Amino acid sequence: MTKIEIMNTYKPKVLIVDDEKGLRIGAQRLLTRENYDVTTAENGTDGIKFGTETEFDLAVIDLKMPDVDGLEVLQQIKAKYPNTVCFIATAFASYETAVEATRLGAHSYIPKPFTPEELLSNLKEGYQIRLVNLEAEKWHKEREERLLEVAFEKTRMNTIVNSITDGVLVVNRDGLAVLYNPSALRFLELPRIAVEEYILDKLRPEIFELFKKIVEEKSAEQKSYTIQIELKPNREFFIEATASAVLHPGENVAGVVIVFKDITELKKIEFVKSQFVSMVSHELKAPIAAVYGFLKLFNDDSIKLSPEQKKEYENRSMVRLDGLLKMVNDLLDISRMEMQTVHREIKRVCIHEVIASILELFQIDINKKGIHVIFDQDEYKQCIKADSDEITRLFTNLISNAIKYNREQGTITITLSLSDDYLLATIKDNGIGLKPEEKNKLFTEFFRAKNEKTKNISGTGLGLSIVKRIVDSYSGKIEVESDYGEGTTFKVFLPTIISN
Amino acid sequence: MSNKKKILLVDDDLDLLEQNKILIESKGYEVITATSGKEGFETFKKVKPDACVVDLIMEEHDSGFILCYRIKKEEHGKNIPVFILTSATYDTGFKFGASTTEEKEWIKADALLNKPVIIEEFVQKLEAFFELKK
Repeated sequence: MTKIEIMNTYKPKVLIVDDEKGLRIGAQRLLTRENYDVTTAENGTDGIKFGTETEFDLAVIDLKMPDVDGLEVLQQIKAKYPNTVCFIATAFASYETAVEATRLGAHSYIPKPFTPEELLSNLKEGYQIRLVNLEAEKWHKEREERLLEVAFEKTRMNTIVNSITDGVLVVNRDGLAVLYNPSALRFLELPRIAVEEYILDKLRPEIFELFKKIVEEKSAEQKSYTIQIELKPNREFFIEATASAVLHPGENVAGVVIVFKDITELKKIEFVKSQFVSMVSHELKAPIAAVYGFLKLFNDDSIKLSPEQKKEYENRSMVRLDGLLKMVNDLLDISRMEMQTVHREIKRVCIHEVIASILELFQIDINKKGIHVIFDQDEYKQCIKADSDEITRLFTNLISNAIKYNREQGTITITLSLSDDYLLATIKDNGIGLKPEEKNKLFTEFFRAKNEKTKNISGTGLGLSIVKRIVDSYSGKIEVESDYGEGTTFKVFLPTIISN
Repeated sequence: MSNKKKILLVDDDLDLLEQNKILIESKGYEVITATSGKEGFETFKKVKPDACVVDLIMEEHDSGFILCYRIKKEEHGKNIPVFILTSATYDTGFKFGASTTEEKEWIKADALLNKPVIIEEFVQKLEAFFELKK
């Protein structure tokens, strides 16, 4: 293509194929002077060789040559370079050969002998034809490439739009659906959309409002609008729709593109979080309110408290503050577990030793309630690989519950055994027990079985939640069996080989 | 028979129950206590108090509402003030601060008192009800 652009300095390349030496020399001299780049071939074989080696602009081929026929040379060159403009030169011109030559791709034929002027005018015309052909070919090729590109772009766009999980709907100014992807149907709650179908009356009012807002937007600066819609109640299906203008060149609003996103999970997490915060703040408020109330009584001049009363209220304040402190510690533990910032030191931990030392720690409480503990640490020697602090915490919470929720003179039975690849620890008490409905909520934060029998027992409501988290973090399992009034048995399964 | 007005106080937090009992008694009322919704309703039927003060969150998050509802369905309950005591307000995220008329209608409580109780405010509200009955 650059040939055309630098035509002023460009010498058109001509191939002369002729077995007549005089003609070759004469033509070369003449054409060189006329600013052509000339190559000659003295026979048909060379003619084919040269003509197919490089692309010539023009070729003048003698029809009758001793080795290869001129028409054969013409065909070979045309097959390789269809844009080389070829002339057939011959003294034996006949109408038939002329037709045959043209049919095989010759531009025209020059009868021999020819004058220099005849040759020059033929070549000049031939070169013009070549330039036009090249230009046409270039346009054709470019057009084809562009069409391919557009087609490719379009299928690629469609593939992308169809495969994203967010919904996409494009509506033109007149409310016709121009483009949508399969996901959009789910968000629009429609079984199907026909392209070019009037869709505005099928949209939810909230989404229709979004469309109107964008189309009626007066200011040049186009905005996007986002709304959240609860499609199914109770946070079952929550979506976010964002509408933006599709602008024509010239900044007219051509239509509106609405992107739909499924934000159900996000809303669920938000809900759980806010519920947790509500619960935490309420649980923290209660002991503060109690201590505050006692202090107010102490300071109220109109209220006379006996020294015994005062002492008792001081003690009760202490108990509440102690509980508050425990709760804050438990909360910190949970938050650490959730952020997984717990530094774990996995080493051999012997469960029977852990339990024995916990029982020793709780000896005062056990004696106070007259509880009988059945546990023979020599009988159940079981060690696993785990973090010793976490295992201690786990069993402390379970044993402390077994004491707290036991009856006076009750029993606690602890056994350790192996069950497949798991260590099984059972902690059985014959205390208050759980009602069936309490059993399900047992491991939820701040859940405390509240009934006549538990109202004097203090606790944070976080102990078993922590137990569950620890067990889960070791890919273990915890089971609870209980009958109200009969007692509770916790079964803890911990893998003997810790995978992490 | 004492001419002191009988107030039924229901709260599952034993410390707060005792504190409020002392405070209310110091203002010249007789206080009967209960520690759960169930016990509260039984005591209500037995002693027929002149007023009830009920904590909101006891066994369940709405035990106070339910107790209040049950009291208000009783003939005697219709004639006496029932106050609901709560630290759960909108800012703690629990959605039963009863700030809308609709909620107040449903709840049927005559007043919602925030914890900690300001005894003077309580007495004022209580006396206003007694005044109205006369």
